[in-house]
Amino acid sequence: MALLELHGLTKRYGGLLAVNDVSFNVESGEVRAVIGPNGAGKTSLFHLITGVVPPTAGEVRFEGRSLSGLSPYRICQTGLSRTFQLTSLFPEMTARENCRTAAQARLAGRWRPWGGRSVFAEASRRGDAALERLGLTEMASRPAGLLSHGDQRLLEVAMALSQQPRVLLLDEPTQGLSVEETATAVETLAGLLADGSLTVLLVEHDMEVVFRLAKRITVLHRGAVIADDTPEAVKANQSVQDAYLGGYH
Amino acid sequence: MPLLLLVVAALLAAAPLVLPVFVLTLLTEALILGLFAMSLDLMVGYTRLISFGHAAAYGLGAYGAGYILLHSATPLPLAILAASLFAGVVAVGVAWVCTMATGVSFSMLTLAFAQLLFAIAFKWTSVTGASDGLAGIPRRAGPFGLTVFETKVGYYELALFCLGVAYVFCRALVNAPFGAVLRGIRENEAKMLSLGYNTRLYKIAVVAISFALGGLAGALYSPFAGFANTDLVYWLFSGQVLIMVIVGGQGTLLGPILGAAFFMLVQQVLSKWTESWALFFGLIFIGFVMFAPEGIWGLLSRWRVRA
Repeated sequence: MALLELHGLTKRYGGLLAVNDVSFNVESGEVRAVIGPNGAGKTSLFHLITGVVPPTAGEVRFEGRSLSGLSPYRICQTGLSRTFQLTSLFPEMTARENCRTAAQARLAGRWRPWGGRSVFAEASRRGDAALERLGLTEMASRPAGLLSHGDQRLLEVAMALSQQPRVLLLDEPTQGLSVEETATAVETLAGLLADGSLTVLLVEHDMEVVFRLAKRITVLHRGAVIADDTPEAVKANQSVQDAYLGGYH
Repeated sequence: MPLLLLVVAALLAAAPLVLPVFVLTLLTEALILGLFAMSLDLMVGYTRLISFGHAAAYGLGAYGAGYILLHSATPLPLAILAASLFAGVVAVGVAWVCTMATGVSFSMLTLAFAQLLFAIAFKWTSVTGASDGLAGIPRRAGPFGLTVFETKVGYYELALFCLGVAYVFCRALVNAPFGAVLRGIRENEAKMLSLGYNTRLYKIAVVAISFALGGLAGALYSPFAGFANTDLVYWLFSGQVLIMVIVGGQGTLLGPILGAAFFMLVQQVLSKWTESWALFFGLIFIGFVMFAPEGIWGLLSRWRVRA
């Protein structure tokens, strides 16, 4: 059984079919990218999976259970952690506090109105481990708002990782980065994914990033899946070339 | 820091030994207002829930305690406690409605709710006394035959005690995991939702706690003054307490207490000179917002660092 299953997911906004009958599975340990030109429906797809908007038709199943009708915070509690296309963190907290707050969400004592030293200790432990995996340990005590844009992008991944998610959803992790920053970030992410312990669904439009990180690629075009294959096969696929990569070269 | 606080608390507790009664009366009112401002700080300073209707909490406590004391034989401390709980329970419903909106819409809903309470207080003659309000609220003795709260000194100590307990409670709350969630909501609520926090539940909880403590302040006030009237639920008072929080230093708990004392001091001094003292206080407020947005508490800590 696949970890994450999309069954005929469809989202219609009036006359616009943003996501059209999308089905695919994400297996445990898989790194899958969803690619497509701007407006292909990538971010809409993320919003459907994370419950930000309800689908017009179809459903998302996670570990065999339907996520239909669950609010975003409940979906996150099942083990799906996401990052945003536009960096979203707590600018006045330090990097460490950002990760601690993220990790706290998964602990039973997260709401405790007094004490809670053990809750903070466990959350900090998870958060610090995530910071280290993304090479941000040196930045831990700096306010997140003062980090470079590249480090902020990675911090958001570290926050998601602090939650020890079953599936990590990354929405354009290198969005807005310079060429050098992108190269650094991609190497860091590649190192993170190297041991195959993480299951990742990645939305990205930078092809070099996708081909470096993903083992499977789903190509969206005008809301519909036009290819679902290995990176090599996708590169060679004629309809993908016409729809997307043609314009890229 | 905790040592300094204990010293200040001890000095305040010993103040009745040296201070004349009229100063003690002013100080009692300052403590009550300080408690009121501190309760709002939980919402404004720690959660960025800007309430334009916090007088509702004060009014619920003031009328609640007044009603209980006028219509039953309940001893004073129990009446105050019951009125505080009453304000907290009502707040759950208020917050449930108000948190359907965020930002300015949230603030407008709190204002609307407070004005609704104002209208009720103005119209429901049999319970609230309408425009006359509730008068002759007694400070009933007990429990166990305690008569100490009937005296001015005893009441001052009671107000000080309530403020102290409320402060320790609030400090523990903001330092606990619950407080960390509030800070997250303050900085980025959308992110907190996507991290798996049911932010609305936390917001309802903090509004209820804030109202219970604001209600405690109101419940201390009406037996102290002997009356409760619609001024205590009026929007002007909501604005004043918001100003106390901002001038004192939001998100610090102690700052708003100082802000309330400062407000009272300025009011006392300026109102001797001019009837339009509020105009001058408005200028002071503008000055703080422009030149010291971190408030009195921020100025004090800046000065401490330099010294």
